[in-house]
Amino acid sequence: MSAPTVTDGATRASVPAAPRKPKRRVGRGLLWAFSALVAFWLVAPALVVIPLSFTDKQSLAFPPTGWSTRWYENFFSDPTWAASLWSSIQVGLLTTVVATVVGTAAALGLARLGPRGQTLARGALMAPIIVPVIVVAVGTYALFLRFRLLGTLPGFVAAHTVLALPFVIIPVSASLAGLDRRLQDAAAICGANRWAVLRQITLPLVAPGILSGALFAFVTSFDEVVISLFIQSPYLRTLPVQMYGSITRDTDPTIAAAATMILVITTSLVVVASAVALRRIKHAR
Amino acid sequence: MSRLPSTIRRRLGLAALAAGALALGGCAGQGPPPNIDLGAGPARAGTVKPDALKDVAMTFTSYGGAFQTGQMQGIVKPFGKLSGARILEDGPTEYAKIRAQVEADFVTWDVVDTDAVWSDGQCGKLLMPLDYSIIDASKVPEGQATRCSVPAMNYATVLTYDKTKFGGRTPQGWKDFYDVQRFPGKRAMFGGAGDAAPGDLEGALIADGVAPEDLYPLDVDRALRKLDTIRKHLVFWETGARSQQMLESGEVVMATVWSGRAYAAVKNGAKFEPVWNQFVPRREALVVPKGVRSPKASMALINYYLGREQQEKLTELTSYSPIHVDARPKVDRLLQSYVTTTPERQRQAIKVDSAWWAENQPAVIEKFTAWLAG
Amino acid sequence: MSVSASPPLPAAAAPPPGRTRRGLRNGSLFLPAAVLLAAFFLAPLAVMVVRAFTDPQTGLQNFSWFFGDAVQVDVLIRTFRTALIVTVVCALLAYPYAYLMTVVGPLGLAVLTLLVLVPFWTSLMVRTFAWVILLQDTGVVNDVLGFFGLGPVQLIRTTTGVVIGMSQILLPFMVMPLYAVMRGIDRRLLQASSGLGAKPLTTFVKVWLPLSLPGLAAGALMVFISSLGFYVTPALLGSPDTALVSQQIFTQVNGLLEWGRGGAMGVIVLVMTLVLLAVSAGALRLLGGQRPEGRA
Repeated sequence: MSAPTVTDGATRASVPAAPRKPKRRVGRGLLWAFSALVAFWLVAPALVVIPLSFTDKQSLAFPPTGWSTRWYENFFSDPTWAASLWSSIQVGLLTTVVATVVGTAAALGLARLGPRGQTLARGALMAPIIVPVIVVAVGTYALFLRFRLLGTLPGFVAAHTVLALPFVIIPVSASLAGLDRRLQDAAAICGANRWAVLRQITLPLVAPGILSGALFAFVTSFDEVVISLFIQSPYLRTLPVQMYGSITRDTDPTIAAAATMILVITTSLVVVASAVALRRIKHAR
Repeated sequence: MSRLPSTIRRRLGLAALAAGALALGGCAGQGPPPNIDLGAGPARAGTVKPDALKDVAMTFTSYGGAFQTGQMQGIVKPFGKLSGARILEDGPTEYAKIRAQVEADFVTWDVVDTDAVWSDGQCGKLLMPLDYSIIDASKVPEGQATRCSVPAMNYATVLTYDKTKFGGRTPQGWKDFYDVQRFPGKRAMFGGAGDAAPGDLEGALIADGVAPEDLYPLDVDRALRKLDTIRKHLVFWETGARSQQMLESGEVVMATVWSGRAYAAVKNGAKFEPVWNQFVPRREALVVPKGVRSPKASMALINYYLGREQQEKLTELTSYSPIHVDARPKVDRLLQSYVTTTPERQRQAIKVDSAWWAENQPAVIEKFTAWLAG
Repeated sequence: MSVSASPPLPAAAAPPPGRTRRGLRNGSLFLPAAVLLAAFFLAPLAVMVVRAFTDPQTGLQNFSWFFGDAVQVDVLIRTFRTALIVTVVCALLAYPYAYLMTVVGPLGLAVLTLLVLVPFWTSLMVRTFAWVILLQDTGVVNDVLGFFGLGPVQLIRTTTGVVIGMSQILLPFMVMPLYAVMRGIDRRLLQASSGLGAKPLTTFVKVWLPLSLPGLAAGALMVFISSLGFYVTPALLGSPDTALVSQQIFTQVNGLLEWGRGGAMGVIVLVMTLVLLAVSAGALRLLGGQRPEGRA
């Protein structure tokens, strides 16, 4: 594992690829095979929901014995499903924006603290993922009840943001820790002010960390069940809450239909985004 | 974004205040109770004086899913239309939320669907006594209308078996659930931590030789010892959906499940058959939390819920059993055989001592949960 | 204006002058997160922590109940053990995968990223339910095993089943930080290492592994800590005798309305995890001290 073959990005100097030895090619092949297995394990299980969503019975037995599209009709004719999907997207996007901005700022502040302050602050910021969420959920319900935040968009975004913050701070901090400080110093020596350094050097270099933090934030919000269960109202109910109710109370393949549509929509979004990014890279070269 | 910090700072102050308010025991958060005239004369189930609740807002809460949809469509929304009440719904029922509302003296749920054992145990604590001058419970099955609750619907915990698995033999009752020689294979039963209800413990004691009339007070330790004898043949389900799926996938050869789930599984083609002999009747309850804004309105809704027409409609919409003794819902043969409130079925049921359960449920839950985790 | 603030690791140079003023400004970067945390996390938590010591009476009865109950202590130990297994499984699977992401071309990278992210977008509830369907005794996995003359193997309702489900759900949390850090590693160091005659394995152990350690640590931290709080997946894939601490807390809080006990259990998990974090932070710092000098 040594010869670098990719040399994109500003951090790495262009180094010509070393000639490949056969042994190395075998190693690379093994690596691909292993990663393919991991990828299969990651992706395949979720695909079960696709055939399941076309079952003709009100049953989650697999494989289905007959086929229909009635669960898709059900999804669109039952306003609670469509509305909960929309609520989840709204809450998720707002949470992503707030958590990414606030979390990145906190990570930048964190990186500049002394070691003891770092430990302390890090502990406090990690607390939301350490404390079992049910404990916080009941306390949140009591407070939200008082301040009429139950079932409100700000209430949801605030509660989810707190849960998402650690998932932004951890990868951003990791990227900052791996940052070559000499680049910042060099920029400063060249006369760049603090904001310019932040904008032109630091942020682009930790961009992968911020991006994965943003993704984690969205997914944290999009998947959150326990607190949402406590702060929801029938007028603002996120998708996982709707699913939780459905799974515990009904046997309803509408869940599979909803999941299939989410899968299709997000896959196409990610594919389109990747294609655009790829083309940009090609143009840039 | 630029305004965020100031709002947050304000909210932080509010949160601190809230903690203080909670510690002090809360203050009234809502307006004065509305003046309600429900009319003169004795109450009649299934009726409400038209427009008696004009401009009253009420929230009905149940466990969500298809059953709550049926409750809303069949009963609660028509009630709103007739009485003029503005109906809101919420759910699923969480007991912790009821406690938080009552303790904060800020009750937003006016009528709640809960488990009946739980509601009997909370009578006078979190729940208020019902006013039977407004509620007509004369047609409710015997013993089901209690100081703080009326039934919301009936069902059963029933033993079911795969009729393709045992040759010609058919299990006859609880004893056969424990007979792994004559009826080999995996058995499923409820195994959710933090809950325990009439059903499997009674079955274990009957299988161990206790006469049905001598079941109470339940010897929980003895029941768990009996369950231990087949522990390695047992699998547990935690949600109704999971139990239904176990029947449909053929993972188990026998199972104790809720009757509604057995019906749904069989309707989907599962080759299972219930054993009605000594089944355990169950019910969900309608309750009113203490400190509700207008108790009269809650009572009026409950009275309407108990009407015969309403109950027939509910069964037709949800396939759960009606709680009006004269109700004759129009349902197919299969579902008819799963109705637990007919006189013939009632004769096959064991008698559950609700009062014992109400008093001892927390202790049973602890023992059962510990047994499960051990 | 100098920006070389104090480095994150004590192994490096002493803090430059002018720290106090900058400390203030760094504090302001921190403020929004702190305020949010206080209002929407600490305040609700405080409500429950107070309960832990006052519900039903003032005193330590909830804590003595917990430590006096062998079942509760067992569940706590099981929770930490399960979290550790999940973390190790994720690390072993994610490390080669993330490495591959850093050495392939743009197309390969896009595909690999896509494959990590797609399951990520499918709801956790749905993925867990999919595992129930796959892992059950009559499920697809056992069908496949049966085709090769193996099985049936009991997967669902075992710790193995729980670990399979949880690792799959948490794997992206390991891959992404690992990739983010590996991508930033200066490849010339590897060149230098092999140029000086080091074998690939030596280069890996002495150079690559230490440099990728922040990513591994970040990923492991996220996976481990998330595992501790998992509720839905162990509830659906496990059985009562694989129950984790969140399920027990749910029982106390929502089933039995014992908020004091629930709060106490929360406090216990929090304290134990903080101790563990402090210990691992110390260990990491020790490791960090042995980093190659070329970087700092």
